[in-house]
Amino acid sequence: MKIDVRHTAKLAKLWLNENEIADFEKQMNEILRIVETLPELPDDGFLLDPENVMSLRPDIVEPSLSRSELLANAPQKQAGCIVVPKTLKEGI
Amino acid sequence: MSLFQKTATELSGMLKSKQISAAELINDVFARIDAVEDKVQAYITQTRALALSQAEKVDERRQKGEDMPMLSGIPLAVKDNIGVKGIPLTCASKMLQSYIPPFSATVIDVLADNGTIITGKTNLNEFAMGSSGETSYFKMTRNPQNLDHVPGGSSGGSAAAIAAGEAVISLGTDTGGSARLPASYCGVVGLRPTYGAVSRYGAVAFASSLDQICPMGRSVADVSALFSEICGPDKMDATTANRGYLDFTASLDGEINGMIIGIPAEYFSDAIDADVAKLVMDAVRVLEREGAVIKQISLPSTGYALPAYFIISAAEASSNLARFDGVRFGHRANEYVNVDELIEKSRGEGFGDEIKRRLMLGTHFLSAGYYDKYYKRAALMRRRIQAEFEAVYQDCDCIVSPTAATTAAKLDENMDDPAKRYSADSCTVAVSLAGLPAISVPCGTALDGLPVGLQIIGKRFSEEQVLKMAYRFETATGGPKSLSVINQ
Amino acid sequence: MDIYNSKYDIVIGLEVHAELCTKTKGFCDCKNEFGGEVNTNCCPGCIGLPGTLPTLNEEVVNFALKAGHALNCEVNLYSKYDRKNYFYPDLAKGYQTTQFDVPICHNGYVDLLEESGETKRIRVARVHIEEDTAKLIHEESFDGTLIDFNRSGVPLIEIVSEPDLRSGRDAKLYLETLRLILVAIGVSDGKMQEGSIRCDVNVSVMPKGCEVFGTRVEMKNVNTFTGAVRAIEYEAERQIALLESGGKIFQETRRWDDAEGKNFLMRSKEDANDYRYFPEPDLLTLSLSKAHVDALKESLPELPNARILRLMKDYGLKFFDAQLLMENLEKCAFFEECAALDKCKPQNLSNWILGDISRLLNAENLTLSDTKLTSKSLCEMVGMIESGAISSAAGKTIIEIILYEEKSPGDIVKEKGLSQISDLSALESIAKAVVEANAGPVEQYNSGKTNVLGFLVGQCMKQSKGQGNPAVLKEILLKLIKK
Repeated sequence: MKIDVRHTAKLAKLWLNENEIADFEKQMNEILRIVETLPELPDDGFLLDPENVMSLRPDIVEPSLSRSELLANAPQKQAGCIVVPKTLKEGI
Repeated sequence: MSLFQKTATELSGMLKSKQISAAELINDVFARIDAVEDKVQAYITQTRALALSQAEKVDERRQKGEDMPMLSGIPLAVKDNIGVKGIPLTCASKMLQSYIPPFSATVIDVLADNGTIITGKTNLNEFAMGSSGETSYFKMTRNPQNLDHVPGGSSGGSAAAIAAGEAVISLGTDTGGSARLPASYCGVVGLRPTYGAVSRYGAVAFASSLDQICPMGRSVADVSALFSEICGPDKMDATTANRGYLDFTASLDGEINGMIIGIPAEYFSDAIDADVAKLVMDAVRVLEREGAVIKQISLPSTGYALPAYFIISAAEASSNLARFDGVRFGHRANEYVNVDELIEKSRGEGFGDEIKRRLMLGTHFLSAGYYDKYYKRAALMRRRIQAEFEAVYQDCDCIVSPTAATTAAKLDENMDDPAKRYSADSCTVAVSLAGLPAISVPCGTALDGLPVGLQIIGKRFSEEQVLKMAYRFETATGGPKSLSVINQ
Repeated sequence: MDIYNSKYDIVIGLEVHAELCTKTKGFCDCKNEFGGEVNTNCCPGCIGLPGTLPTLNEEVVNFALKAGHALNCEVNLYSKYDRKNYFYPDLAKGYQTTQFDVPICHNGYVDLLEESGETKRIRVARVHIEEDTAKLIHEESFDGTLIDFNRSGVPLIEIVSEPDLRSGRDAKLYLETLRLILVAIGVSDGKMQEGSIRCDVNVSVMPKGCEVFGTRVEMKNVNTFTGAVRAIEYEAERQIALLESGGKIFQETRRWDDAEGKNFLMRSKEDANDYRYFPEPDLLTLSLSKAHVDALKESLPELPNARILRLMKDYGLKFFDAQLLMENLEKCAFFEECAALDKCKPQNLSNWILGDISRLLNAENLTLSDTKLTSKSLCEMVGMIESGAISSAAGKTIIEIILYEEKSPGDIVKEKGLSQISDLSALESIAKAVVEANAGPVEQYNSGKTNVLGFLVGQCMKQSKGQGNPAVLKEILLKLIKK
């Protein structure tokens, strides 16, 4: 199985330079070769773990962060919001 | 003996009896940092002013007669993927070069409340990915035992800092071996707690189902003390186990007589340096003399642990690191034509090659048509590996193995061969997959003069046994190792 | 084109997202509130700062279970969380926490109630818990798109129907029914204008009699129920026209533009997002006790269909009125409280509550609890109208007072002299005077222009200063004129 670096980089939203692609491809195919040694095992419903379950949080409001602290690391701000280039209305 | 050379256990006694002050201690440690940091390069950020003011507060509290916890006044180095409010948090990445977290990790809050003094943030492999300690965006940390060698990773800075006397204890993180491996390479003690024993809140996630914050120190007692403070349930981390813990320092000196130690054949294969294997088997015989019973065991799927680990950790990382997109914090590219390009370029510029490689592979492992072949197989293998551990633990109390197949490599030795570098984790990843506690404790020096680590692996939540066994070994072999002399 | 009388059947499936009205968000303890000042109900987790972790709100689980019960679902006592991975500026973590292959509830149904009392059953494939995204703000004057993270992490349930709907009307009724249910059980505020309930629509068409569904097209951005009808009918018409002209339907996602009344291609199948779902490692398996699940089922109030039917049966209300009352639980409860006093006819009570009272409340943007109106005062007033003691017009005056003042309608009638003259002799003398003074109109009436009667009644009312009983006056007038 060979990896399609360009497609994968697009999915992972990573900007690659053309000259990097060959190196990445070689290294990643080498790793794929190793991980592909994994055998297929019977599916035992591994997704659920009834032995190890989650405790839940009570529905009680706690103070939020101040807006200035919240946005202190933001690269671009306006009107109390983070700014990105203009987009369509929704992503999903 | 200078203060910086002593263990936390010794220093705690001296602070308690007011033989020394926390301010004196922290000054001594910073003097040591000034003397050797140029060579070791353990820190990304030093928090000298903060540390001094913290130390003065501890001294004031003690002067007032307050009964201070054991680690109050003790200098602690923190791996720079664990957040301390108001102090830069870089993950050794260009991506977070100028990021300052507005909150502290739970473990930091606990330690700060107890008066532990933070010396600074230590170097690591970028985003804690890798086992050499060489992929930091900022600097390359050296192994204090031999500056031509790597400290191991990813918690290389945290291991090197305590090995060089630049801190007394430290916090690392361990995903596939990131605390145990550098502990082994640098000749210090590192405990990977049971998954869920310590809150991960505030530690930047690499692979959430594997990451654990780890106590590191120059003695088993120090590591026990640090672990005793940071373990416990946290309402901010839903994966912490809801259970009570004891003070692990109180039970250290217990007997190991009759405890059964499993020796897994798979961990002593030809892939392990003969020199390393010999030192580890010598250590096993020491434990046997102390009354432990040795039993040969088998963990047949061990060879599959590395591929399973690689798939799961890369898959989780590809999702965990999606938040670094240049939108809300972190590096944002200068030039872009639209929001897609903003994200792609910010990530392309902000991440190093090792990160990009893992993120692309992780993305591939989860993508349409590949999930079953990669992620699902790995998750099923993880279950099998867990089951194999559970089975052998029916008949033994702990398992002993080398921590690493070799001693620390020379700098740059494997940089061009990622596949080979990943194999450094071969003795540690199965433990991570199974969520078990394991400690690496120094067990001698190989022919190349570098330290070798003994890995003691326990059942889930059996840190008490693991620490007791490690302590017994340490005591039987002359106590905590003295500080290395920095050469060159 | 009449799409419902064409050669095709339309097949519709809906994915409804309902925001849950819990106090805190789904996975952190920030306030869950619509309309707060931008970026003020946020913690580090809401903007996805590194090191943050999710903690699941127990009330979200309870609300989802209530919804599941109300939709007749089976509950999975063990379920899990997953990550749906994609990049967009409104998605703080780069993934949405959701439930992929093991949802909390599945395999249920909703019965759509028709006026005839018949029902049409729409199967519900699943109900699962997930989180909302941040809100993007688009304004010309800004430097770009602005992001407000107050909505980031607000808990949602997604309710996925089976493709059982066959028309825009079906879909609208289904959405209205869902809304009634979610509001009735207290898990959603049902406020459409605040985006509390939104839906994605899947539409396909197939030749009548065919059993194999056509290629399905997904439509995003459908934000109102009437919009859903228009979007569905537009898309069905587009597909039928395409097929009729020999074209082919492609599996794609289209964006509904309600203002334009059209949809536009968002992405084709080839560009479909690869969401790379995998189990959320920061959350463990969700385990529910049977006892807890059953207790929540017991705690459910009477559900809308049952209540509508009971309002019709017990009080003789019309279907439409019962449905309208059900739209507002407060009014519905008030109606039943009044009706229980048994002082006046329920239909009249319903008319007053849905008519004048609602009009007055809406004008001031109030709810009943903001007013001084009591069941006792309303019943007293309606009773006086029914007995003929006051006119409906007087009732309108009284209602405006008793909404805001704690006065009895009887006292108001005395105070304002609103009582109606039903004394025949008094009314007869007024009518006689009016007939005498209006010989012209009386003539007109007798020559067939019967609508002048209204004018004459009006004149009598004027004479009586509004206190005459118009029905009685009308009868007297008729007798006098026909003499």
